[in-house]
Amino acid sequence: MSAMAYIAVSFLVVPLVIIIIINLIQREFAKKVCIYLACASAVIQMASSTAEFFMLSANHLHEYRFTLLWNMKEDAEHFGVTSLSLVVMFCIGFVSFISALIALRTIDKRKIYYVNLLMTLVLGMNGMVIVTDLFSLYVFLEIVGISSFVLIALFRSETGLEGAFKYLVMSALASMLILTGLSFIFMQTGSLLYTKIGPSILIAEDGSKQTLAYVALIFLISGFAVKTGAVPFHSWLPDAHQSADTAVSILLSGIVIKVAGIYSFIVLTDLFKNVPAIDTALAILGIASIITGALLALRQTHFKRIAAYSSVSQMGYILLGLSTGSTLGLVGVIAHVFNHATFKSTLFANAAALHEQTGTLDIDEMGGLQSRMPVTGFSNIAAFLSTAGIPPFAGFWSKLLIIMALWNRGLRVLAGIALFSSILTAAYFLRLQKKVFFGKLPDKYSDLKEIDGTVRFAEIILTVVIIAAGVCFPLALLYLKGRGIL
Amino acid sequence: MEAVIYTCLGLMLIFGVMAVMFHSMTKSAIALAAASAALGAIMYETGAIWSALLEISVCSGLVTVIFISAISLSNMDKKELEKVYDDKKRMSLLPVVLILGGAALVIAAMTAGISLPQPDTAAKAAGDLREILWNNRQADIWGQIIIMITGAAAVSVLFRESDWK
Repeated sequence: MSAMAYIAVSFLVVPLVIIIIINLIQREFAKKVCIYLACASAVIQMASSTAEFFMLSANHLHEYRFTLLWNMKEDAEHFGVTSLSLVVMFCIGFVSFISALIALRTIDKRKIYYVNLLMTLVLGMNGMVIVTDLFSLYVFLEIVGISSFVLIALFRSETGLEGAFKYLVMSALASMLILTGLSFIFMQTGSLLYTKIGPSILIAEDGSKQTLAYVALIFLISGFAVKTGAVPFHSWLPDAHQSADTAVSILLSGIVIKVAGIYSFIVLTDLFKNVPAIDTALAILGIASIITGALLALRQTHFKRIAAYSSVSQMGYILLGLSTGSTLGLVGVIAHVFNHATFKSTLFANAAALHEQTGTLDIDEMGGLQSRMPVTGFSNIAAFLSTAGIPPFAGFWSKLLIIMALWNRGLRVLAGIALFSSILTAAYFLRLQKKVFFGKLPDKYSDLKEIDGTVRFAEIILTVVIIAAGVCFPLALLYLKGRGIL
Repeated sequence: MEAVIYTCLGLMLIFGVMAVMFHSMTKSAIALAAASAALGAIMYETGAIWSALLEISVCSGLVTVIFISAISLSNMDKKELEKVYDDKKRMSLLPVVLILGGAALVIAAMTAGISLPQPDTAAKAAGDLREILWNNRQADIWGQIIIMITGAAAVSVLFRESDWK
């Protein structure tokens, strides 16, 4: 096996080994070390995906195919990594690391359960991005769904169970739609391998087959839209985010909706390139999500619900980028996936800090906290400016690429709406910033102090990443131009 | 062959509805097993022999045994159970609607002349089960292993009795 093969295999093996270790060692010791092991696993994943990315680039490979353990047939390769999937896996590692840091502070009693489920969630997401078959994608999507549902209900509180139940119901609906869509495609092609599916099934001579193929696409798009939390399938998302522990909310908003929803859409648009019906559907979902998410965020008074509706809105930008079907749009999408992972993790880390120190996340009960919690206040400003797409923060570049891709495709009205909606984003975040950090400090918070420990560490790391990614983004564009991608 | 498949589809629908509507959990589990057996028969008829064997033995057989064992171990008060299922009286027309809907779908499929699935050659090929699973569906096997681990973690989080107390 080559170094590339060892690294590729590690994406599934390392989380599995962590699960085995923490369940085999003595329970009291496991409680002490399990979250550190989860952090180590996340760091290994970030390092592995970076190393594999540069190896792929150095060998001028588009994709590296591999199999786990042994191969009974020489040509059987069931997994594959591409530059795109490696970027997504880096994001998975990064968000898991931040979530584990927050969990060190917010999760006290159920650490082993949390780490077990975090590892299965990571396994599910890693599996989704390395499989080469639509049915396998569905299997790993289910793992992501089950792990997320149990993580939301981790403490079995009334709100937690309610949020988990809503997620479960919507997730089951999405699974049903996706599975039905897959079975219709299977009826046409006899296989669900990525290499055997393409737009040709939509131009079948038999009219009923063509109809069936389009029905399959409607089911798949609806199912993936539920997983993304796109409007009008977004009802589960704010409740799930609000009711979960903040360490879990970071995972849900930071990475789960992107891998389960957006990555599935990326696969779909890659398989059915330049199919106008898919591009139109994505554009409609995108615009509806951007505007509705932003307008609903303006009405919320709970910190996490604002962040959750903001996620709905930002997923809209990503869907809009995908609808262009161009390389520029795809680069914008991947950049926005990474940027959203960072700035949304920052917002939820801030939510953890505020909840730990004030005991509430109702923004109407807060005010003037900037003087008492300057690190949290500053990182919140960085996250909000990046989300709103203000230069030179990272969010500016990814939104710019998406808007440019729309403009180049002649979708100028959509580009204009996307641009205008940034004002709405700025509006709901300005409201949040003003209510939480500016104004008069309530008397009950006069003795309040800044959060310390791992939460503050996470806030600082995330703020540095947001600023550094913004400043260094032109270098990444030059790298892509040098490789002939842009 | 098509008549068998459509009959099994109908049976699957009926048993599925019965599994949801029964007030007794034991009867529900048995109805679920019957629905699963009908699905296994469809798989067998469409050429997916190994999948059919797994469906019938694991889903229809083993899982039903586990369900019934779990039900017999639980001590849910019968009155409480009846209270929980009382709501279902209001949905007594649901099976009729579902069955009519299913029948309409089958008629629509037959009228439109939609052909039956063309199974993958790999699924049809007879051979060593290990070879078929490992060579063709290795990713899914890993997926199943992880699902089992996730399921175990989920059960311990949600149903650990000492924590409820």
